[in-house]
Amino acid sequence: MLKPLSESKWNYETAAHLLNRAGFGGPPSQVEKLADLKHDQAVALLLDYEMVPDETPDPDWAKPDPERMARLRDIYQHGTPEEKKAAQQAENKQQNLWMLELRGWWLQRMARGPRPLQEKMVLFWHGHFATSTDKVREAYYMWRQNELFRRLATGNWGQLLADAGKDPAMLIWLDQAQSNKQHPNENFAREVMELFALGEGHYTEYDIGQSARALTGWSLDRINQAYIYRPFLHDNGEKTFLGRTGNLDGDDVIETIVAQPQAARFITAKLWNYFTGQYPTDELNTALAAVFRANGNNFQPFLRVMFRSEEFYTADIIRNQVKSPVQWLIGSVRMLECDLPPTLVSYGMLRQLGQDLFAPPNVKGWDGGVTWITTNTLLARYNDAEALVQGTLPPLTADDFAKKPGGAGGEKAMKFLQNVRMGGVNLEKILTPDERDSKDTLVASLQHRLLQSTLKGDQEQALREFLDAKTQLTDPDIRTAIRLVMSTPEYQVT
Amino acid sequence: MKNEITLQTRREFLRTTVLGSALSWTVPAFLANTLTALQTEAADSATQITTGKDATILVVLQMAGGNDGLNTVVPYANDFYHKARPRIGLNTQQVLDLNGEIGFHGSMKGFKDLYDAGNLAVVQGVGYPNPNRSHFRSTEIWQTASDSERIEKYGWLGRYFDNDCAGADPTVGVTIGNQLPEAFFAQSPKGIVLNNPQNYRFESDAHPKPGQPDMTEESYKKLNELEMSSPAPDGGPTMISEENSGGSISSLAAGMPMQGGRAIDFISRTALDAQISSDQVRAIAAKVQNQATYPGSQLGNSLKLVAKLIGGGLPTRVYYVSQGGYDTHTNQLNSQQRLLGDLANSTKAFVDDMKAQGNMGRVLVMTFSEFGRRVTENANGGTDHGAAAPMFIVGNQVKAGLLGKYPSLAPEDLYQGDIKYNVDFRNVYASVLETWLKTKSAPILGRQFEPLPIV
Repeated sequence: MLKPLSESKWNYETAAHLLNRAGFGGPPSQVEKLADLKHDQAVALLLDYEMVPDETPDPDWAKPDPERMARLRDIYQHGTPEEKKAAQQAENKQQNLWMLELRGWWLQRMARGPRPLQEKMVLFWHGHFATSTDKVREAYYMWRQNELFRRLATGNWGQLLADAGKDPAMLIWLDQAQSNKQHPNENFAREVMELFALGEGHYTEYDIGQSARALTGWSLDRINQAYIYRPFLHDNGEKTFLGRTGNLDGDDVIETIVAQPQAARFITAKLWNYFTGQYPTDELNTALAAVFRANGNNFQPFLRVMFRSEEFYTADIIRNQVKSPVQWLIGSVRMLECDLPPTLVSYGMLRQLGQDLFAPPNVKGWDGGVTWITTNTLLARYNDAEALVQGTLPPLTADDFAKKPGGAGGEKAMKFLQNVRMGGVNLEKILTPDERDSKDTLVASLQHRLLQSTLKGDQEQALREFLDAKTQLTDPDIRTAIRLVMSTPEYQVT
Repeated sequence: MKNEITLQTRREFLRTTVLGSALSWTVPAFLANTLTALQTEAADSATQITTGKDATILVVLQMAGGNDGLNTVVPYANDFYHKARPRIGLNTQQVLDLNGEIGFHGSMKGFKDLYDAGNLAVVQGVGYPNPNRSHFRSTEIWQTASDSERIEKYGWLGRYFDNDCAGADPTVGVTIGNQLPEAFFAQSPKGIVLNNPQNYRFESDAHPKPGQPDMTEESYKKLNELEMSSPAPDGGPTMISEENSGGSISSLAAGMPMQGGRAIDFISRTALDAQISSDQVRAIAAKVQNQATYPGSQLGNSLKLVAKLIGGGLPTRVYYVSQGGYDTHTNQLNSQQRLLGDLANSTKAFVDDMKAQGNMGRVLVMTFSEFGRRVTENANGGTDHGAAAPMFIVGNQVKAGLLGKYPSLAPEDLYQGDIKYNVDFRNVYASVLETWLKTKSAPILGRQFEPLPIV
């Protein structure tokens, strides 16, 4: 199992597949560039991204701000009700602006950054650790967690679990910051096993209680906005957790979890699913877990084996994954070689399509796969395609923006939208004069770029009929044709 | 290919129906049946074989996150209760008394009114054996009506559709929201999902003169005709045959994408459902007026839309709405106050609307939550994941009142600090299926669960 793909199968189609999955796809020129390399070089180009400088600056507010935190604490503790309310409102407004900026910052990195695989992994970890700003309510913490995922994107599993667990966003998200030896909070203890590392059935309720005790002491310094260990909160008694006994602490818990053979099976199966759209068979999962463990639970060498393997390029995997909304938006922008819509528009689109970044629906993250597709989200994809291609505003409503329907934020966003200008597609950039010279070459070129495959016969016929009804092919007609290709079931898979 | 029917005159055929759009040359049997039925009954396009306009309607209302039943239907006179909850326990002044021992949470005036009017039943202490405290697993258990230890592929409502609604149109199940709930997962997937009727359409860039065809929209329709992909390269199953039509949805049921079937088949089918239902839904939403004032909450808006769709005669048997936020690990008092108030007011408004429409006799609302919460409060003014909790059933024909008995809170009667169930939720489902949706429950629930006298 997991033998490298034979070089004879490395071509435009398989290269496009790799770029789509290990990144967010790209225009034909990028696919061709990959296809011209040897397979291992192509994988390395994506995976060894440390060699590629990424000089994206941090948002200027993305640092601890003890002064602000102290001031807020003072008002919340000693202020009059009016002062508290005013401070709260100002704070909410500020946080909402920063969060919007953060979304734009990250989407831009995915769409235009030099390290697509790193960003694809950050997106994986975000969905995996599924932390929401709705509870964390501090843009700095959300950014910090995002950066943590970036730093350890293809790093070590034990380190990532421990660091993510001690990061402020997680300490708040799963209530660890509120746990203490008198009343250990079980939220993080439960989810770290059920959702992050082992899966249900590989621990007991007893293990949850014991690990919750061991994890006490992990805490948050809310003024300096950083993790702090507070010995006086820690339960120093003896615990027995997954067969190990002693005065265990939080690090022991993580270490014990990662040492379970199941931990390697669990995370490699989830990664395989993320990149292929399928769950591995037991046999394949065993092979994947073995590679992962043999490489010291490090993701980079594991991913190399995975992206090199012939299993990754089988017919049941290629073009059989439903695009996530982020993949749909970023992939579209990359394939169309156009700008990302203004952040507010991208934000509204992604919410409408069911993937509100930094606000997953719950601790489990997004279900993904075919659950992305409902009658509602499919129509929205078709209409958002229109917006991307034509440069018109997508049909968004106040509720697509408001935290709660009818909430004030929605109306404000709608007002703001009136002044937003979209880019649309520059046809000169994506079609040569030859390609748009005839309807045949145009139809072929659009399929090559947008689907890296072909439509079914009668669909191609329908597209031809649309074009044939035009006496002369104007730019608007071609744009409509592009939008129509994007308004097919075929465009929703990759 | 035995389940395929070739429809050679599809265009003329469809022109006579509500669909008005082109389908592919070959369609699966369930759709073909629908179309045949629609054609014969084209005089009244909203009438369906299995879903006559006067049929009963079930509205399932999910309280996501695990609602604390103890502070919802409050045993305010119980000493064990107050001992376990010194900080968040509710006293006589904070409840709406029902019988001198038990009262609704004070924010639930809407429910109290329905209770007094004889429209609301409380099924007390509902749960299942070997309760699971994971949100996801327990939600899955409720959605699939499975035993705690068993993974079921399909949802209980999906199995109802499979068994009883073959040939029904996609709007037989309507979810308000963005995601199809697992309860709807089925061998032959059915049901549409929408949240905003205005946007529930394909937006065309063409503005043809009256009488002229809209070329963009025509092309969109042709590009989205249902056609199954060719068999998988290994000769494996596709979704063409009924036996295998669950290829994608079965893996979907595990919360996971494709195993076996092609993703494209699932999307193609959804694209067709979207095309079929879009015109209907928008026409109804534009035509029907609500006749009650709803809270401006998500739940309020969802029920408002459901009321419109019912008023407009959509041939739907099951609507699904949800309200989130019940995972009250911290500062429960504030959040539950808001949530339960919203629940009660939204439901009351919906009932008022149904009464004004004259449809109240057709509608039954059933709530559920994946679990109740721990009897003993935690250190953060909240409660952790627990087990049994009450369900609410609202309708004209319900046996109103407190049904069953309040579970014991005596420490020796608890299991790991949680309330033990008195009623298996599948007995409630069985009642709803048999007495309300008028179908045999055993094939849907896997075995016979005794229906309770609820409706």
